[in-house]
Amino acid sequence: MRGARNPNHAIAASIAAVAFAAIAATFTFDPVPPGLPGLGAVEFPRLVSAILLLLALILGLTAASSANEDDSPRISSRAWLIFALCLGFLPLVEIIGMIPAIPIFLLVAGLLWGGTPWLTLALSALGMGISIWLVFVKIFRLTLPKGWLGSMLGF
Amino acid sequence: MEGFLGGLAILLDPWVMFMVLLGTVLGIFVGALPGISGSTTIALMLPLTITMGPIPAICFLGAIYCAANFGGSITAIMVNAPGDPSASATALEGYKMAEKGQAGLALGMSAVSSAIGGIFSIFVLIIAAPLLARAAYSFGPPEYFALAVFGLSMCAAIGGDSAVKNLIAAALGVLLATVGMDLTTGTERFAFGIDELADGIKFVPVLIGLFAVGEMLDQVVRRAEKSKIIALDAARVPGMAEFRKCNRSIWLGSVIGTFIGALPALGATTAALIGYNETRRWSKHKEEFGKGSIEGVAGPEAANNAAVGGSMVPTLALGIPGSATTAIILAGLIVQGVRPGPHLFTEQPTLLYAVFASMLAANLFYLGLGLYMARFFARISLIPPAILWPSVFVLSIIGAYGPDQSMGDVVIMLVAGVVGFLFRRTGFSPAPLIMGLVLGGKMEETLKQSLIIFGDDVSMFATRPIAMTLLCITAAGLLWPLISRFWRSRGA
Repeated sequence: MRGARNPNHAIAASIAAVAFAAIAATFTFDPVPPGLPGLGAVEFPRLVSAILLLLALILGLTAASSANEDDSPRISSRAWLIFALCLGFLPLVEIIGMIPAIPIFLLVAGLLWGGTPWLTLALSALGMGISIWLVFVKIFRLTLPKGWLGSMLGF
Repeated sequence: MEGFLGGLAILLDPWVMFMVLLGTVLGIFVGALPGISGSTTIALMLPLTITMGPIPAICFLGAIYCAANFGGSITAIMVNAPGDPSASATALEGYKMAEKGQAGLALGMSAVSSAIGGIFSIFVLIIAAPLLARAAYSFGPPEYFALAVFGLSMCAAIGGDSAVKNLIAAALGVLLATVGMDLTTGTERFAFGIDELADGIKFVPVLIGLFAVGEMLDQVVRRAEKSKIIALDAARVPGMAEFRKCNRSIWLGSVIGTFIGALPALGATTAALIGYNETRRWSKHKEEFGKGSIEGVAGPEAANNAAVGGSMVPTLALGIPGSATTAIILAGLIVQGVRPGPHLFTEQPTLLYAVFASMLAANLFYLGLGLYMARFFARISLIPPAILWPSVFVLSIIGAYGPDQSMGDVVIMLVAGVVGFLFRRTGFSPAPLIMGLVLGGKMEETLKQSLIIFGDDVSMFATRPIAMTLLCITAAGLLWPLISRFWRSRGA
């Protein structure tokens, strides 16, 4: 029977990849005029990347903590939908503007989350939208994105 | 003393006093919300403080920090769900007391011991920080470099899944700090032609992403259910008999908390856990532990609040954060144009003493609020996650967008949020990354300056006793697990 996979190997490999990428990127930096004293622009990032590589190696050789896997439940389809909704918030802001997008996002995210009546969600979403408008736009004078629709309607 | 009186005078300014009170109420509120910690809130509030000016801003953030630790104990006692990680030790005995019908007494003892621990540590801060700053006047770049290395090495003990993962997160933070223009050579590093990266990684979007959005995404996966609350009549002030019983625990917790807090990187959670263990070890009523011991509430609560003042000592005196939360406050100070360190004590003593006074006031405020409004704050945990977490996401978006009104910063915040989420799923803590990000610039700058002073000869560090001592302590601390394993294997 095969033994359980050590998740530290994958994590260590990812960290090592980041460190190698960082070292590789330092070769693309503009050259520094010769004769400057002390460290140049590339040495410190390379030093830190080398330390990262060493730590990744140590992590790869370390047994995984058993608590770690228990703490990470599987990502459900509903969670993926909420993630997608979070990503979709930015295009929504670009189209209808930040203030109208907030209650819509809060209502849909709340419905996807579940466990709370839709009327409670709708009222709290509306309340949150109005509070944000009052605090950030009226009191702090923050200019929030108006979106394509807001610009078209001349807000 | 004169400076402190000056700080108290500033506190009498109604605007500053209002910000301290607001910070205290907000701190208790968010501290009581499971999942939202003081550090998350301070990260979220950072953009709002930019327009306030340094004194109200730092007083507001300091008050949140003080009160959030106490707020965490309310839900730890009432629903067995620590609102703040630092209250996890309080839940062990506090919830058992609540089950026995002693919730009011547990909350009362939590409020009183928290305030005693907090006030004790602020007096230590008032005395120790100027002394440390005076000692640090003789520090040059090599000493500051060694101190930054020591501070980052302490991240290994910050908690989380493993010391190696904490060090990796810290190193990633230092690497992130190198993004943008190198000030000594003018070379652009890791910017890849992206305008938002050319000036370096901005603290605010990264902090909000790592703490608030990362936690929100994690909660989406966990989809925590609503909490069930235990009935409570009112928090009550502990009587003389209870005080006498807990006297030793409170002072032990206060001293341990202040000391642990003053060590770079270690904060209130570590202090509370050590405070709990030591309270149990020195208690005359060991048999009560695990069944609802009031000493088991008093010790860790005094310790986690004492860690607040303790962690401000290196933050203000040396510019080295004493905890993840003070790393965020440090970032807030830098955003305000204030550079913490020994010179702050001569250049802006009023600001410093206003901070001390505001923290003292916050402790007194939450003592009053904790005793009289605990029942209200305990109900906060009943806010449905379906309302709470999407709201946190929206506030994060506005928080990242606000300072520069740039959607690019929102994208950076979202990327940091995904990193924070992946960190939590793989057993990493985001706190060391923040420490690395805050200290990385200072570390590189002081290393470069040191090498110029030493004529590129690294061995010259040996001629600087303070720097050498700090580097040796760092090396010993990092190698200790290997050395102890070697000795154990020889012994076996």
